[in-house]
Order: sequence, then C-alpha cells, then structure tokens
Amino acid sequence: MPRKKKPKTVLVTGVSSQWGQWLAAKLSAQPGLRLIGIDTAPPPETIEGLDFVQADIRNPLLAEFLELEAVDTVCHLDFIERYRRSEPVFEHNVIGTMKLLGACAQAGVRKVVFKSSTRVYGASPRNPAFLTEARPIRGARRYGYNRDLVEIESFFNGFQRQHPDMVLTILRFPNIVGPRANTPFTRFLSDPKAPVLLGFDPMMQVIHEEDVVRALLHAVRGDYPGAYNVAAEGILPLLKIMGIAGKIPIPLVHLLPYWAVNLGTPLSRHLPIEPDYLRYRWVADLQRMKEIMEFTPEYTAEEALREFAGERRARRYMPEKSPLAYDEERLRDTIERRRRMRAASKRRAPQGA
Amino acid sequence: MFQDDVIPQEEPEVSGEAPRESALPKDAAAPEGSAQPQSAAGADSLSGAAAPPENGSPPEDESAFRAALREELDDLIERIRKTNPEYAPPPFSPRALLDLLRRNLANFPPDFQLDILERLRESLNADIFDLDTWKGIWYMLNYTLEYQTDILKRRMTGEYETDEWGLDQEFLDAVRPFLEFLYYKYWRVEVSGLENVPEEGRALLVSNHSGQLPMDGAMIGLAIYNEHPAHRLVRTLYADWFPTLPFVSMTLEKLGQAMANEENGIRLLEADELVAVFPEGYKGVGKLFKERYRLARFGRGGFVRMALKTQAPIIPISVVGAEETYISLYKSTTLAKLTGFPYFPISPTFPWLGVLGLVPLPTKWYIDFGEPIPVDGYSPDAANNLVLVSQLTDQTRNIVQEMIYKRLAQRRSVFFG
Repeated sequence: MPRKKKPKTVLVTGVSSQWGQWLAAKLSAQPGLRLIGIDTAPPPETIEGLDFVQADIRNPLLAEFLELEAVDTVCHLDFIERYRRSEPVFEHNVIGTMKLLGACAQAGVRKVVFKSSTRVYGASPRNPAFLTEARPIRGARRYGYNRDLVEIESFFNGFQRQHPDMVLTILRFPNIVGPRANTPFTRFLSDPKAPVLLGFDPMMQVIHEEDVVRALLHAVRGDYPGAYNVAAEGILPLLKIMGIAGKIPIPLVHLLPYWAVNLGTPLSRHLPIEPDYLRYRWVADLQRMKEIMEFTPEYTAEEALREFAGERRARRYMPEKSPLAYDEERLRDTIERRRRMRAASKRRAPQGA
Repeated sequence: MFQDDVIPQEEPEVSGEAPRESALPKDAAAPEGSAQPQSAAGADSLSGAAAPPENGSPPEDESAFRAALREELDDLIERIRKTNPEYAPPPFSPRALLDLLRRNLANFPPDFQLDILERLRESLNADIFDLDTWKGIWYMLNYTLEYQTDILKRRMTGEYETDEWGLDQEFLDAVRPFLEFLYYKYWRVEVSGLENVPEEGRALLVSNHSGQLPMDGAMIGLAIYNEHPAHRLVRTLYADWFPTLPFVSMTLEKLGQAMANEENGIRLLEADELVAVFPEGYKGVGKLFKERYRLARFGRGGFVRMALKTQAPIIPISVVGAEETYISLYKSTTLAKLTGFPYFPISPTFPWLGVLGLVPLPTKWYIDFGEPIPVDGYSPDAANNLVLVSQLTDQTRNIVQEMIYKRLAQRRSVFFG
C-alpha cells in the first residue's frame, strides 16, 4: 500500500506515570501519529495503539533506538515528584533528562516537549505580581522536586543555545488539581491537616489535570519553541481555595514550617508545598499562552477546584476499591488482548497458507 | 416634633444592626460602577435609608411626609431587589414582624430597648405608618439578617470575589472604619487640590514619605476613596520588606496594593488605575526628627520611567503632619540587623514602652494634591533617556518640596493646624 506521508513518530517518556498514561491515551487517538512509550515498568493499563518499550532513559543505547525509530518528537514526562531530596531521584530526574536530551540531539530528534512548573520562578517578596517567561529561574531548592526542576530548566537553557535548530518547548504549570491527579497540591488539599502560614494569604493559580494533558497535546501537535506559562483563568487567594476545597486551614507561625522543613521533622510530611510557596505570590503571566500558543484551558480555576472538591467529598462515601476489582479489570484486559491477538493471527494464517 | 420621635425608632433597627459585623461604609462611598459585592451594595442602601429622615427637619404637612417616606422605602426595596434579584422575604405578617423585632432588640441595651418599644407603640397610635411601610421594614430587616448570617458562611466556603491583584472589597469595607477613625478623628486630615486627580484614567501620584510607619499611604488612599467625587481606589506600590511580614502582607494584598517595581506599576497604569508611589522609600519613611520635611533622594527615577512608558500624568502630593507622628532621634543599625527591619528608630517612647511606643502622636495632617505634570509631550521611548528621566525626577522632587514649604509656612501649630 503506497503511503502518502510518513506518520510522525512521537515518543513519550515516563509513559507509565499518570501524565504519561493520560497523554498517551490522547495521542493514540490522533490520526497520522505513531506512538512509542518508554518507561522502566509497563503502564498499569494497556493503551490502544501504544508501542511500549521497557527501558530507562539513561540507557546509553537510547540514541540508537531513537534513530532506528526515526523519532520526530519526544514528550518528556519521566519525572519523579518527591519532596525529600534524594540522590537516586536526582540522578533519575536530572541526569536522566541530560542523557535523554543528549540522545535526542545525536539521533536528530526535531522537538522535545517538557512539563515543568511555574514553581521554577520561585516565590519571593521581590516577585512582580505577574511573572513572565523571561523571568530568571530562581526557584527554591529546599524540596527535591523543586530543586530538580530548577536544575533541568537551567540545563534546557544551555542546551537550547548549543542546539538552536531544535524545538524545545517547556510548559510551566501552576498547582495541578483534578479528580484523578496525584500532585503536591492535591496531596496538600486532601490532607486533613492543611497547614497555612499565619498572616499570609498569597494569591495562587491552579490548572485542571485535563487541561494539562490538553496543553501537552497542543504542544506536541504544533511547534511552539520556548517556555510558556499555562494556567487556568482566575487567580484565587489560598484561603479561598481551601474554602472551596472544604479544608479548615491550620495557621502556623511562619517560622515554624521553615524550621520543620530544614530539620526534616515529620511536619514536612503535612507540607507537600514548600513554605515559601505558601507565603509569597508566584502568579504567572499568561500572555504568551493566549497569544502565541493560542491555548485556552477549558476549566477556570474555580471550576477546577469545585470539581476536585466534589470528587473528594464523594470519595469519602465510596467503598475502597478492593484488590479483587483491580484483578478483575486486569484479567478482562488480558482476555481482550489475547482475543484480539488470536483473531489477528487467524487472519494472517490463511494468507500464509 | 412628633415625627422626629417616630422616625428614629426604625433607624437603630436597620442601620444600627448592620455595622457590627458587616462593617458597612458610613457614607455610601461605594465607587460608582465598581464591582462591589452584591449584598454589600444592598446593605449599603439600608444605612442610606435611615439617614435622610433623621437629618430632615419635621415637615409641616404630614401626608406629604408620609408619601415621601413611602417613596423612599419603595425606592430602597427596588434597589435591594436589583442588587439581589433572587432574594424573596418570607411572607409578611404583623406577628412575625414583632418576633423579628424582639429577636433583634436583644442586641441593644435595656433602656434603649424600652425606648424603641415605647416609640413603636406611640407610632401605632398615631397611625403614621401604613401597611406598606411596615412591609418595607419587614423586608429590610429580613434582608439584613440574611446577609449577616450569610457572610460568615460565604467566607468559610470561599464564595467571595477578589481581583487579580488580590483586592477583596469585603475586607476593604471591614478595615475602613479604623482608617476612617484615624483620618477624621485622630489626625483630622485636611485635603486640598483633589480636583487635580482625574475622575477616570491613569495617573501616577507621587508623594513625600514620612512617619516611620507608612500610614501616609493609607491616608492618601482614603482621601481619594472617600472625598474624591469618583471615589477611586488608589493602588499604592509598597516596599519589598512588607510582603515578608505576616498580616501586613495579607492586608496590603487584600486592599489591592502591589509591590513596588516597574513591572507592577506599568501594568496597573496600563489598566488605567491610580497608582501612588513614594520615591523616597525607606530613606523617607525612616527619617530622623531633625531631618523632617527635607526630602530624601527620589530613588533612581523608576517612577518617571513608569509615567513616560504609560504616558500617565504625574500628580505631586505633599503630606504635612505625618513627620511629627513619631519623634525618631536615632536609627540603630545593630538592632535593624538583628530584627531584619530596614531601619530601627529609637524615639522617646520606642522601643522603651514596647507596643505602646508605637502609638502615633495626634498631629494635624494636610494632604495637598498639586497640579499634574504632563508627560504626553514625550514619547514612551523617552523612558530610556537618562538625562530626561533625572530631569523630570528632580522637577517632581522640587515641586513636592515647594508644596511642603508652602504648607509649613501656613501652619501655626503641629497639633491644631
């Protein structure tokens, strides 16, 4: 069969993570795309049309693989979000990204999309009220995930200078909320003990998980070099966010969380957000998202939060999903897959005969 | 005389009820067309309702007075309906009305309660109120009650609005009475030249800074919010030390103020806001007593660049009286370093008396708004012209200094003006 146009090959790293799975599910529905997913473990649920490859992005053979598959776009979602600073995680996140970018350059990959956060600007009293993408990267480095993101973003900067012809897209998201997402902010809002800093009520942005996936898809389909802040319409004070989420804020004298975090005491477990980010304003300017990327999130900030809160309220009354239910789902998937494979091999067999 | 007795009996019921929790504005100074919360605007009109008859002299013709009163009530009901169309009061019945009154009476001191009831009784005999009037009272009482029980619930569940800078109108209305006390009673601020502040469109207010605590910013803001015909909100740009302080950072943000940097200033001016700056900064506010009314350096001219880039007229302001609210004899660098303060004043009372030492002196204040310095003769690119920027900076500084000297020449007493 003559093919008019070679389909574009998109590789998603960290395809077994929540973002990887959701993006892969969306990408697989796109026509004219070939989808490869790479991760150290297979995705928990099979994704139709995904060519899964089990490998670590730090693998030295990655460049060879990218070249063999003639990968056009890499969407890099392999990032471990852990607040505790740890060397293996740093190695995975930062060194992994460096090796991946190196392999991409060697294999002639045209475009790399990376999911980052507006946290990289840092929360500081000197911040302008609206942070533009040109703002230098001065994020806090107390928490592991913040430090790693800042490191990666600085590396991206240098890499872009060395490879000016590559399209590097960085999407910076604020706090992500949603019924399914597991992010520092959803953990913060789900914790019955949600600490805030006494006398501080910073304005915050949020974005719905589906809009995150839609923005990534948007960046994979079109070419938007550079960094973009992507957030939902509406900037809300933290206490209002907690009011919507139905959390009673527990005010702490602001020095306390800093000490707790610096000493690594158990309080930091209830503080998935670095204290600076609960103290100062870190609101991003969305002009580039609106005008250059021409992307509009579907959910406003309040809508996203109300949906999240509703889901959390309902979940309290749902029975816990039993391991048996998971088992049943998995077996059903297996049966279906095998059926399809049988059918396919039966179709092939008469031709061969 | 008779009507005079009757009218006030409804007044404490309605407006006396409101200010305790909802902190209603005293003089209905809501900016026209501003996005005030619906219910606040509704309750606002309530306090306005009681005012006119109270001030009016007893009219000769009783029926005309009654008609006027009825008209006013109808008008109020109409306004409440407009601001909150869904609100429907429970059906009217005299018994329920009396119940409602009784419940609310508990909020007043006993002698006052008796007074109210007696007047009520009298008014029934006199037949001055017809059924419509009673219905009106019924409607408004219910509305106030509902509004107040509602406000706490709304704050708890996050059902309130803020603008993108953090301005929270309900918070503003709650802290205003305190600032108004300082403004009208404590410092007895006298304002001149308000006509120089435009009714709409951008303008950059440039003022001298003094008084150890930056209360002059609050007073300038209140002067324009309360006394200017357009009741505009001033966005003051504050120093970067304040966002690090608990409560201070929250208060400033909820009042719609912003951190002082050029990006914020330009963004606000481009949104056609009134922006106030204090180019002297810490050097001005932390002045020693012996240096009072001598202007410090006007920053690096950032405010002129903001004005040039956005083509906003510069309006010079002089604040006289704030310098003497504290007598700073010495600035301790050691204590400033230890506490992390940008400056640490030593006055006859501070820090010796602790928090008491922070009580300012009740001086008499004058705020004068000067004539705008137009910048539309220059192109926005002129902001990069260092010579021009420093020239305009010096020009503004000289004008403010002249205005201060002029006012000081007229002033006879620090405390009485």
